[in-house]
Amino acid sequence: MASKESAPLVHSEWMQFAPLIILLPMMAFAVILFLGHIFNGHPFWKKNLKEGGLIALPVMAASLVLSLLLISEFLKGNSGVDQIFEQIAWVNTGVWNGGSMIEPVSLGFGIYVDHITVMLLFVASFLCLLINTFSIGYMNTDPINDNRNHRFYAEFVLFCSGMLGMVLADSFLWLFIFWEIMGLCSYLLIGFYYERPSAASAAKKAFLTTRIGDVFLMIGLVMLWDLFGSLDYAVVFATENIDAVAAESAGTLQWALGLMFIGAVGKSAQFPLHVWLPDAMEGPTPVSALIHAATMVNAGLYLVARMFPFFGAESLHGDLDDLAFVIASIGGITAVMAAAIAFVQMDLKKVLAYSTMSQLAYIFTGLGCAMYLANTLDWHHNDKDHYIVIVAFGAALFHLFNHAMAKGMLFMASGSVIHEVHHAHHHLHHHDDHHDDHGDDHHDDHDDHHDDHFDAQSMENMGGLASKMPITATAMLVGSASIMGLPLIGGFWSKEGIIANAWRVAQNDPRFLLPAMCVLIGAAMTGFYMSRMWFKTFAGKPNNEVAAHVGPTNTWIKTPLFILTFVTLSSIIFAGMGFTHWASDTEYSFLSERNLLDGIIYEMDHAFANSDIFFFILTYIAIFMGAIVGPGLAMALYGGKLAEGEEAKPWMRPIIALSAWFNDRFHFDNTALRESTLATALENRLYIDEYYDKAMINIVAGFSNKVAETDAEVIDGTIKAIESGSQSLSTIVRSMTTGSARDYILMVAVGTLALFLLIWGVA
Amino acid sequence: MSETTTVEAFGDGFISALCPELMLFAGLLLLIIVPNLGRGTFRIRGTQIRVPWLLGGSRFKITSDPRLPAWIASITLGSAFLNVVYIFSQGLERVVIVSESGKELLLVNGFSRVFEMIFFGALALAAFSSMNRLQVKGIGAHVSEHELYNNRRQADFYILMVTCALGMSVVALAQDLFVLFIGLELASFSTYVLVAFLKESKVGVESGMKYFIVGSVASGVGLYGLSMLYLWAGSLQFSVLSVAFAESGTTALPLIGIGFVLVGFGFKVSAAPFHFAAPDAYAGAISPVAGVLATASKAMGMLGLVRMLLIVAAPESSDGSAVWLACLGAMAAITMTWGNLAALGSDNPKRMLAYSSVAHAGYMLAALTAVGAWNWDAAVSGDAGAAAVAVMTALLFHLVVLVAFKLGAFLVLSILESEGGASRLSSLGGLAKREPLLAVAMFIFMISLAGVPPMAGFLSKLLVIMGIVRIAVGDMGAEIADGGVFVLADMHWVWWLAFLMVINSAISVFYYLRVVVVMFFDEPEEGREGPLPSGWQVRLAILACVLTTVFVGIAGDALIRICEMAAQSLNYGW
Repeated sequence: MASKESAPLVHSEWMQFAPLIILLPMMAFAVILFLGHIFNGHPFWKKNLKEGGLIALPVMAASLVLSLLLISEFLKGNSGVDQIFEQIAWVNTGVWNGGSMIEPVSLGFGIYVDHITVMLLFVASFLCLLINTFSIGYMNTDPINDNRNHRFYAEFVLFCSGMLGMVLADSFLWLFIFWEIMGLCSYLLIGFYYERPSAASAAKKAFLTTRIGDVFLMIGLVMLWDLFGSLDYAVVFATENIDAVAAESAGTLQWALGLMFIGAVGKSAQFPLHVWLPDAMEGPTPVSALIHAATMVNAGLYLVARMFPFFGAESLHGDLDDLAFVIASIGGITAVMAAAIAFVQMDLKKVLAYSTMSQLAYIFTGLGCAMYLANTLDWHHNDKDHYIVIVAFGAALFHLFNHAMAKGMLFMASGSVIHEVHHAHHHLHHHDDHHDDHGDDHHDDHDDHHDDHFDAQSMENMGGLASKMPITATAMLVGSASIMGLPLIGGFWSKEGIIANAWRVAQNDPRFLLPAMCVLIGAAMTGFYMSRMWFKTFAGKPNNEVAAHVGPTNTWIKTPLFILTFVTLSSIIFAGMGFTHWASDTEYSFLSERNLLDGIIYEMDHAFANSDIFFFILTYIAIFMGAIVGPGLAMALYGGKLAEGEEAKPWMRPIIALSAWFNDRFHFDNTALRESTLATALENRLYIDEYYDKAMINIVAGFSNKVAETDAEVIDGTIKAIESGSQSLSTIVRSMTTGSARDYILMVAVGTLALFLLIWGVA
Repeated sequence: MSETTTVEAFGDGFISALCPELMLFAGLLLLIIVPNLGRGTFRIRGTQIRVPWLLGGSRFKITSDPRLPAWIASITLGSAFLNVVYIFSQGLERVVIVSESGKELLLVNGFSRVFEMIFFGALALAAFSSMNRLQVKGIGAHVSEHELYNNRRQADFYILMVTCALGMSVVALAQDLFVLFIGLELASFSTYVLVAFLKESKVGVESGMKYFIVGSVASGVGLYGLSMLYLWAGSLQFSVLSVAFAESGTTALPLIGIGFVLVGFGFKVSAAPFHFAAPDAYAGAISPVAGVLATASKAMGMLGLVRMLLIVAAPESSDGSAVWLACLGAMAAITMTWGNLAALGSDNPKRMLAYSSVAHAGYMLAALTAVGAWNWDAAVSGDAGAAAVAVMTALLFHLVVLVAFKLGAFLVLSILESEGGASRLSSLGGLAKREPLLAVAMFIFMISLAGVPPMAGFLSKLLVIMGIVRIAVGDMGAEIADGGVFVLADMHWVWWLAFLMVINSAISVFYYLRVVVVMFFDEPEEGREGPLPSGWQVRLAILACVLTTVFVGIAGDALIRICEMAAQSLNYGW
C-alpha cells in the first residue's frame, strides 16, 4: 500500500464493467419506484414480481457476479498489481488557490480496487443479495406491507448501491457522497412504518445522530483537502505526497483523520454516538440485517480501514499513535458497554443490535491496534514487524467479514422467528376472535411499548422453538457461536487475533491496557448475552400458548439462512487460505504461501499451540471466558429441556441437554440482581439517551429557536422583499410588451439609436 | 486542419459538399409533387383518348393520406440531419464554392456544419412531432378536424418547414453578405407564415402579422446597413469586407452599416430591445413552431452576428478589443436581465419560455462579447487564443443543446395545446398524475434550462461562464503564477457579464421550478383530468430530447470536441 510507489493505472477486462455494480442497483431504484407507482396493487406486480422484489433480486445478483469477477481479477493480478484504478472525468476546471495559482481540478468518478475494497465489496454484494432473498419471504408475506413493498425494494437497492459505490469510489469525496446516500436510505428504511410515531422518531434519531458524525467527517475531509489539494486516493495515498505533508503538518493530519474518525463513530454506532442503533430496530427486520451486516455500520469501519496508508506511512512514523489509541479505546469502551446493556434486553432484535455495537467495537479495537503497530513498528524494513502489522490489520478485517456473515444470518433468523411468532399469534387469535380489527392489530404488534398487546419480538413470548424451527434454530446457533468466538467456528479466528493484538500493543504501550482488558472481558460478556438469547428463544419450554404454535418458515427465508450457516462454519477455510494476510497486503497473495491444508494446520497451530507463552495463555483465557464462563452462566439461568414430545435436531440435542443439566445444577435466583440499580441503569441504556435529550432541549433547542426567529424575520424578510420587488419589476417590464406592433417598432428605433450612440462613444 | 478545396458552382465536388442541402431540395420537390399525385388524365385534343398523367384528379389512397407530407418532411429533414452527423463522423473538409468570376459564395466547414446540424435537428424534431399535432381543438367549434387535416394545408406547412431549413443552411454557408441576406429572408418569410399558419385563430394571425411587421422593419434596417457596407467597400464578400475593415474600420460609414446590421440580427436572436414581437409570436404560433423560433431561428441570428462581428468587424489586433464591444455588452446585460425579469411574472408558459429564450440570447451575447474582448486574430495560434476558442465552443455547444431542452419543453406544451390550449400555467396542473413520464420530461427540461447539473443546460452554462472568466482573467493567471497579486480591478470588465449571468441564472430558477411545482403538486384544471391526447410521434421526439439533455450533460465530450473544432474552423483561414 503506502510502501509501494504511486498507484499504477491498470485497465483490466472486468474493470470497465465495475461502474455497473453501482449503476445497476441505482437504476433499479428508479425502475422499481416508478413501476411500483404505476402498477401498485396490480395482481401481476404483486404475485409475479413480488412488488419489485423480483426486479431487485436479479439486479443484486448481477452486482454480485460482477463484483466476483472483479475480485477474482484482482486476486489473480494480486502479486504484481497494487491497485486497479480507472477514472471517468466529468468536468475539468481550474480553481483559484490562495490567490496565487490556478490548479486544475477534475470532477470525475473512478473505481479504486485494493484489498480492503475487495473484502467489503464481497461482503456487501453477497449479503445484499441474500437479504434481498430473505426480504421476499419476509416482507411480501406480511399484509401490513401490502402495496408499499415497492418503496421498500426501491430504497433497499438504493441503499445497496450507496454501499457498493462507497466501497468502489476512488476518492474521499465520492466516498462521502455515497456515504450520505446511505444516510438518506437508512432514514427512509428505518422510518418505513412512518405512521408509527416510534418508527418516525427512530428514523429521525438515526439520521440526526449520524449527521453529527458527518459534520465532523466533512470538516475532516476539508482539512484533508487543504493538506493534499485533492481527495483522490491516487493523490492522498501517494507516498511522495504523504511525505510532503508529514514533513510540515503531521499534527494537522492527525486532527483531520481524527475528525473523520468521528464520522465513522457515528456511522458505526460507537460510543458516544451509538444511541441511534437500538432504535433503528423500528425498521423492518431485513433493514436491520442490511444496516447491521451488509452496509451501514461497515461503512464506518471501511472509512477507518481506508486511513491505513497514513498510519502505515514511513514518514509519519510515530506521529499518529494517539489517534490509534483513541480508535482502540472507543472500541474497547463500546465493546463492554454495549455487551452490558445487551444483558438485560428482552427484545430479540435489541439484543442483536447491542451485539452489533459490541462486535463493531471489537473491530475498531483491532483496527486501532493494527494502526498503532503500523505507526510505531519499523514494518517497512523488518520482516517480522511487517508480518505482525499485516496479521493485525487482517484480523480486524477478517472479523468484519465474520461478523457481517454471522450478524446477517442472526438478523434474518431472528426475523424468521419474529415472523413465525407473529403469524402464530395472528393465527391463534384470528380463530379465537380476540381481536376484531386486524389492521390495528398489525400496527400494535410491532410496538413493544404496549404491555397489554402482544409483542412478537420479545423473548418472553418465545422459548422452546428449537424443535419447531430447526433451520432457523441451527442458523441462530451457528451465528451466536461465531459471534461468541467458540473455537473453530466463524468469529473465533478473527476475535482471537484482535484480542492477541490488543495485548501485544499493551505490552509496548501501557495505555492500551484499557482496550485490551475491555476486549477480554467483552469476550465473556458476549458469551453470556448471546447464549442467553439463544436459550431463551429456542431451549426450555414454550413461554406461552403462541410460542407453542409456531410453525416452520418459508423457502425464501430458509435459503439465505442455509447459505450463511455454511459460510460461517467454513470460516476456517478462509483463515486457511491466508485471509488475514491477503486482506491486508499484496505481498501475500491468495493461497500463495502454502496450500489450503497446510494453511489450516498453520492456523490451528497458531491458535491453540502458540509458541509464545504469553499468547498461549492469553488464548486459553479468552477461550475460557468466551466459551465457558459466559455460556455457562447463561445456561445456568436460562437453559432447560424442550417440552414433552418435542424433539430437536440431533446436533442441537446435546446442547439443550447440557443447558438443562447446567440449569438443574447451577441455577440461582438472580431477582435481586435484576432489580438492582445497575440493571435498571442498563435497561435505561445507562441514561445516555436521556442526557442527550436534556442537552438537546436545553441548549440546542434554545439556540435553534433564536436562529429560527432570526431566520424568519431577517433572512426570510429580505428574501420576501427581493421576491416581491422582482415581481413588481417583472410587471413593469412585461407591461412594456403592449401588444401593439407600433410600440415594438418604436422600441426598435430607440434601440438602434442607443446602439449608434454607444458605437459613436467608443469610436 | 484540412486542406481547402475550391469548387465551382455545379462543378466537381459540388454535390458531395452540399449533399444535405440537395437532399432538402429533393424533399421539397417531393413535398410539392407527391401529395398531388392522383388519377388525373389528360385528353388528347379532338380524340377520346385520355392519357393518364398522374397529377390531379382523385388522389390515390396513399397520396391523400394527411400525414404523408409530414412523413416526407420528417424523413427529408431527418436524413439531412443524419447526413451531417455522418459527415462529422467521417471527418470534415473545407470546401469553398465560388462563382464563375471566382467570388466566394459558400463555405463548407466545421462551423457551418454545426449550424446545419442545429437547424436540421430542430426542424426534423418539430416536423416529426407536429405530424398529428396541428391544433385541432380550441379554435372554434365550426372548424372540423377534417378541414384542419386537409391534405393541401398540411403540405403547405411542411413545405414551409423545409424552405425554412434551406434558408437557414444558406445562412450557415454564406460567404457573401448578399447570399446570407437571401438565405435569411427565405428562412424568415417561412417562419412568418408558420407563425400565422393557424389562420382560423385570431391570436395566430395577429401574432404572425406583428412578427412580420417588426421583422420586416428589422430586415429593412439590416439591409440598409448592408447597402452602406457595399457603398463603403464596394463588395459584400466577407473576405473583402474584413480586409477593408481592418484598414479603415472605424470611419463613420462602416460603423453605421455595422450598427444597422446589428439591429437586423438583434431581432433574429430576440435581443432587447428588439425582442418585443417574440413573446407575442411564440404565444400565437403552435408550439413546435415556437420551438423552432426559439432554437433554430435563434441559432441563425447568432450565426449572423458571429459572422458579422468576428469575421467582418474583427476585433483589432492593437488593443485586442472590438469597437462594438460596449454595444454588445450592454445589449447582453439588458437582454438577459430583461428576459428573466419578464419571465418571472409570466403566467403563460409559452410566453415564459419566450422570455426565457430572450434571457438565453443574453447569455449567448455575453459569450460573444467576451470573444470580442480578445484579440480574435491571435486566436489561431498560441495559448492566448485558446480562451477565445473556448468561449466560441461554449456558445456553439449552448446553441446545440438548447435544441434538446428548449424545443423539448415546447413539444410538451404542444401536447397540452392540442388538448385545448396551453396559455395558462394552470393548464400544466396535475401533469404528473395525468402522464408521469411527460411531467418527468418537462421537469428535466426545466432544470436543464435553469442549469442544474447534470443536465446539458448546466454544462453549457458552465462552459460559457468559465470561458468568459478565462478571457477576463487573460494573462493574469500566468502573471500571478510568477508572483503577481490578484486584483479584481485588473480583470477585463466582461467579467461582470459572467457575474450577471450567475445572478440571472439564480433568478431564473424561480420560474422554471414554478412549472415543476404546478405539474407535480397542483390539481388538473377542470375538464382536463382525463388522459392526454395520444400521438406517439411527439412523445418519441420528446424522448429524444430528454435523452440528449441527460446524455450530453453527463458525457458531452464528443459534442464539445465537435464544437471546438467548429470554433477553430471559424477562425481558420481568415
